[in-house]
Amino acid sequence: MAKNSVAIIGTSRLAEELFQLSRDKGFAATLHPDADGIAASASLVVETRAAADKKKKEILKRLDADLPHSSVLLTSCAGSPTTRIASWTARPERVVGFASFYPLQEKRVIELSAGLRTQEASLKEAENLFRTLGKEPVRVKDGSGLIFPRILSLIINEAARSLDEGVAQAEEIDVAMRLGTNYPVGPLRWADQIGLDEVLAVLEGLQQETGEERYRPAPLLKKMVLAGWLGESAGRGFYSYTESKVTK
Amino acid sequence: MGSGIAQVCAQAGCETLLYDVSQEFIDNGLSRIRSFLQRSRARGKMTAEEEKQILERLVSTLRLEDFRECTLVIEAAPEQLDLKRDVFKKLDALCGPEALLATNTSSFSVTAIAGATRQPERVVGMHFFNPPPLMALVEIIRGDRTSPATMEKAISLARRIGKTPVPAKDTPGFIVNRIARSFYNEALRIFGDGQAEVPTIDRIMKEAGGFPMGPFELMDLIGIDVNFAATQSIYQSSFYDSRFRPSPIQQRMVLAGNLGRKTGRGFYTYGEK
Repeated sequence: MAKNSVAIIGTSRLAEELFQLSRDKGFAATLHPDADGIAASASLVVETRAAADKKKKEILKRLDADLPHSSVLLTSCAGSPTTRIASWTARPERVVGFASFYPLQEKRVIELSAGLRTQEASLKEAENLFRTLGKEPVRVKDGSGLIFPRILSLIINEAARSLDEGVAQAEEIDVAMRLGTNYPVGPLRWADQIGLDEVLAVLEGLQQETGEERYRPAPLLKKMVLAGWLGESAGRGFYSYTESKVTK
Repeated sequence: MGSGIAQVCAQAGCETLLYDVSQEFIDNGLSRIRSFLQRSRARGKMTAEEEKQILERLVSTLRLEDFRECTLVIEAAPEQLDLKRDVFKKLDALCGPEALLATNTSSFSVTAIAGATRQPERVVGMHFFNPPPLMALVEIIRGDRTSPATMEKAISLARRIGKTPVPAKDTPGFIVNRIARSFYNEALRIFGDGQAEVPTIDRIMKEAGGFPMGPFELMDLIGIDVNFAATQSIYQSSFYDSRFRPSPIQQRMVLAGNLGRKTGRGFYTYGEK
């Protein structure tokens, strides 16, 4: 039943959610913090680390070495174009990028991108996986953060700058964006749900890729990630979540 | 936008004076209000009696002097700084010291407008969103010299007319126009770079992002010219910060007259107009 096995790699909320979703849809799914202990039988591996850092590179190299050549490698291209990630492996043909943010639950669509050397067959297999998970795959041209994570991260970055400059308080910024432009969630609350580290990874990826000032992360966002204030999952982000945890 | 704000005030039970520079502009404003109220009545959202009372509370004038007795004046003149400063200079001389002078500007600094008056402490921004009768938010902008008492009064007046006030510092674009720029500008950038087509980007922002409308649909609704002007204004007032750089695609569309729904053609086409 190798066809139905999928290994999810990562420690983020998104990784956990993908793992649950795969199980719910009947896959023999496993969740791993890194490249250790991946069953050689897994026909599909979904690697979810957003930051395109040394650790991600090590994971990709390990996976590429350990997995059978036929296995497709799906990797988060939130913080780097797929082509770059694929270049770390010996078989770039099997590397497919995807980019999304937690939570996946209500999302009907997921973005995929092929690196310059990705094979059509690998893309098809990745698309099939997401269809089975109930998500319609949409292909877009390769780039750091693709579309939704990229645009939302820039909105969050501007909200973080506004907060840092004292334009308004967090709650006021969120209320204004919901009522003034009908955003489904205020950008700072949204960042807390996604995880500030994920948002920072998208911005840093774009900044590195383009070299443009436009993508420079807000100093406050960087500091909060360094302080471990990553949002809901950490109990503190732009808002504090410790009280609600106690009352639960 | 002035007539929409006047309608909000009259609907909230305030005696409201609507001023404009010509009878024609006043008549246009009043007819917009009448047709809005008629539609509300047709939908059963208000009675004929309520409609009548609202219209009775609305008085129009061509004389700025008639504002002498008002406790709150909200200026929604065209977005030209000299014009606004001139209006505030006149209002400052006319109105009693207790009166609050508010500007609905979205592009200019409240501090700069208040600079034309002798009492900048009573000048505040009350930035409504379009269309005012339907949008709950009002940004309350604190100019550098706006007094805390003026802020408090403006906040409670916004509540009094049924709106949700959010206080903000006087900075380019305030809260909403500034933060929302990325939604449009980055989408334009992605499209311009050939990364995805317009309908794909809109679909992804709705179905992967959960936004009620895609950026291009929304620009077509707002008007490409209006959206472009908002971006330009923030770009200029931030001394050309590259984060706010407008898109050449948008400029080309404005110059070509493809302004969105109102002209039948924008990022999408909308039949004959």
